[in-house]
Amino acid sequence: MPRLRSPARSGAAEHGRLADEELIQLVARNDADAFEVLLERHADAAFSLAYRMCGRHAIAEDVTQEAFLAIWRGGARYDPTRASVRTWVLGIVHHRAVDALRRHDVHARRRAGEEGLEETLEAHERTDVQALDNEAARELRDALEGLPREQRRVIELAYFGGFTHVEIASMLEEPIGTIKGRMRLGLRKLRDHLEGWEALPA
Amino acid sequence: MNDCETRMDAAAYVLGALEDPESYREHLATCAACREEVAELERVVDLLPATVPRAAASGELRARIMASVRSEAELLRAAGERADQPPTRTRGIFARPLWLPAGATALAAGLAAALILALGGGSSSPVRVRAAVLSPSEGGAHAVLIERGRRGELVVRGMRQAPAGDVFQVWLKRGASAQPQPTDALFGVTHGGDASVAVPGDLRGVTEILVTHEPVGGSRHPTSAPLLHVVA
Repeated sequence: MPRLRSPARSGAAEHGRLADEELIQLVARNDADAFEVLLERHADAAFSLAYRMCGRHAIAEDVTQEAFLAIWRGGARYDPTRASVRTWVLGIVHHRAVDALRRHDVHARRRAGEEGLEETLEAHERTDVQALDNEAARELRDALEGLPREQRRVIELAYFGGFTHVEIASMLEEPIGTIKGRMRLGLRKLRDHLEGWEALPA
Repeated sequence: MNDCETRMDAAAYVLGALEDPESYREHLATCAACREEVAELERVVDLLPATVPRAAASGELRARIMASVRSEAELLRAAGERADQPPTRTRGIFARPLWLPAGATALAAGLAAALILALGGGSSSPVRVRAAVLSPSEGGAHAVLIERGRRGELVVRGMRQAPAGDVFQVWLKRGASAQPQPTDALFGVTHGGDASVAVPGDLRGVTEILVTHEPVGGSRHPTSAPLLHVVA
């Protein structure tokens, strides 16, 4: 008997009430409706990260598509003890974006690693530059902006630009040990900020 | 406090900036202090994506992703249903309407037919069908692994031709960090980019199946990036 579209639609509505972790289990059984709900929940965050890293709309779309299809095809396994589904999805996007950056030329990567990229967003693509998922993320952004410039720069070049510490050292003409040290100092400061907020009463 | 002499590497590692993360992972297996530091710093790095300016994924992008997902879901379902039926009914397969979503290509229909043929092979072993992950260079191609008991068969559709003088070679990985082992499964694709190839040997212990381009005669070690991989 041919399948109709309408039952699938109501299936998607049912799925809309499920937690991400439950949807992932359905996706592992090839449930396209469950996948669509996950896509709706995480597509903007995924595209935002890819765009921040790649700086070009077409490449960011390719990266986002590759990441979601890899999730659908089971090429990546979700481990609920390690992180939330959102964090896991964004980790896959990050990985794919780094691959894409390393396939493309170094100037685009350098630009992506630098701050101030939001100026290149076209108006229709910008939802709200200030809008973040939650309080912790906003605080983290403030803390990142509050880091000494040289610490922030190595973190951004590494994480958003996809550069290795050796490449960053050569780009900034600094010893490798200095670069690793700045990365460590910067991340530890951010961690201390996080711990400070978590210690506050809710 | 982390007194390990490689403690400086933890931050570079969680940022993805080490040149050789694999050897650092080996170090982590033996160093509790560095594992702890990595776990602490990972929590920070996990939040970095939330600090980026928000942009919206376009409706076209979402639709493209869902079109692939729905056509693959239908293929997998068609193959799975076929696998549940007695093998004697293989003659009737083309009489049975195969529902395909709007936007599914003739290519996808061809793959479904091939899958159903492959599955009609007359075995009572449990059959599983897994979609392969293709490299970005193979956009538009589809590939699946059909596991029948401990035997595997790769079916590909719409792959690009191998460069002149090259063939496709199948590789097997046993264990997440193991090197791919060569097989004697060398194949070419039709003008349409189609092929069906038996995975040599027993799938027990195989964690991943890969396909690369290699010079005619095959290689002992991969000489090109994988075109596709399937997690077995």
